[in-house]
Amino acid sequence: MRAAARTLGVLCALIAGAAQAQSAEALGWLRRIQDATRSLSYSGTFVYQHGGRSETSRITRYVDASGAIEKLEVMDGVPRELVRTRETVKCFLPDAKLVKVERRSGREFPALLPEQLNSLAGNYDIALGETRRIGGFECRAVVLTPKDSLRFGYRLYADVQSGMLMKAVTFDAAGHDLEQFMFTQLTLGHVTRDMVRPRHPATAAWRVEDVGAVPASLPGWALSSELPGFHKVIELKRTLGESRPVSQMVFSDGLAAVSVFIEPMTGRTQAVHTGLASMGAINIYRREVAQHVITVVGEAPPVSVQRIADSVEYHPQ
Amino acid sequence: MLMDGELDDQGAAPALDALRRDGEAQQAWRTYHLIGDAMRDCRLLSEGFAARVAERLAGEPTVLAPRRAASEPRRWRLALPVAASVAAVALVGWLAFGPQRGEEPVTVAKAPVAAPAPLQPAPPAIVPLPNAANDYLLAHQGFSPRLDLQGMAPYVRTVSDSSQDAR
Repeated sequence: MRAAARTLGVLCALIAGAAQAQSAEALGWLRRIQDATRSLSYSGTFVYQHGGRSETSRITRYVDASGAIEKLEVMDGVPRELVRTRETVKCFLPDAKLVKVERRSGREFPALLPEQLNSLAGNYDIALGETRRIGGFECRAVVLTPKDSLRFGYRLYADVQSGMLMKAVTFDAAGHDLEQFMFTQLTLGHVTRDMVRPRHPATAAWRVEDVGAVPASLPGWALSSELPGFHKVIELKRTLGESRPVSQMVFSDGLAAVSVFIEPMTGRTQAVHTGLASMGAINIYRREVAQHVITVVGEAPPVSVQRIADSVEYHPQ
Repeated sequence: MLMDGELDDQGAAPALDALRRDGEAQQAWRTYHLIGDAMRDCRLLSEGFAARVAERLAGEPTVLAPRRAASEPRRWRLALPVAASVAAVALVGWLAFGPQRGEEPVTVAKAPVAAPAPLQPAPPAIVPLPNAANDYLLAHQGFSPRLDLQGMAPYVRTVSDSSQDAR
């Protein structure tokens, strides 16, 4: 029996050692994915699936010395198109003759993924997974398994050659897939500037919803307790939709982000329905605090958005 | 046998089957997992810990419970095998099923490894997506660190048909 206990100890040590080595290699793959995302030009077709629905889109990315321009066109249903540069995201809705412009001044905004990717290891077990062919590319899986129930898990499949992310699956604590992005076809390179121009350029007849966001402090608003692993990334003042003034706080665990939107009740005709709404891996929880509507939106489990919403407090200054 | 990790797949199947059906067995299994969490760090466990585990095991009539060891005079000699067995169960369970998450937190009475129970709010009311959910998604999406790994693909959510429905 003692021998068994000793064997067990050795086994423990071996597993721990192996896990560590694998984690370092898996982190290397995450870094490769990040580098590929930054530097590659590509065009391809991907399918977005969630809750039994699926939607096909075309995505084109053009990189030159001044940065990247990306275009996303939804191929199914009503035509919709998004064009993203470093400082704006324009959302073209040709049916409504509406363009929504999300504007931000890039320099003041924090980098998204932590500079040190290994800080993710505090919240996720990161390991290499299977090798599989996707869209004609030999891919390796990197699996991020959450260390608690406050975040989702991710299976990321990257092209072995280029590091390009070919497929991303978000799964919940029970191991069920919540949503999936997957390239069914991809061409690396061969992209010209023309290919990322909007297909439906907004003319004078179009309505423009120009929503700006500016970093600002939000006096009086805070969380009574932060969600474990999540830290505040930024506070903003912005407009939403037509021109509703809204405050926004963003929390992140390094991979998942949750936004808290705070809007005055003034002028609101309907009561706020306190509760949860879901869409794929996105959960939205609403409640009312101090004559304001609190809307918490995030790629995080229901319990996380609800806990963040429940801890929003206002202390008049 | 299962506890010593000496059962082959076929032999373990009935015991695992019982685990799936029996609520108490599941409860015990979760408890072992919690212990497993500690064991995976390869911490040295005190004699007292093993005895407490043995006591608790004896108090729970499950397929995995060993006989009560209290009347045995050289108790410590049993404590180590019990600890090893429990560890083996935890290890086998861990390898077989992976860490179980999203379950109710389990606390072992007075055990030094008990994790603080996370605050679980009451189940929320389910409400429709807010009007113009797209606007919130568009405003939020730009802060998702995933963009650094995936480019703008996640933005498809902000114009997705299902969020459009709420408009």
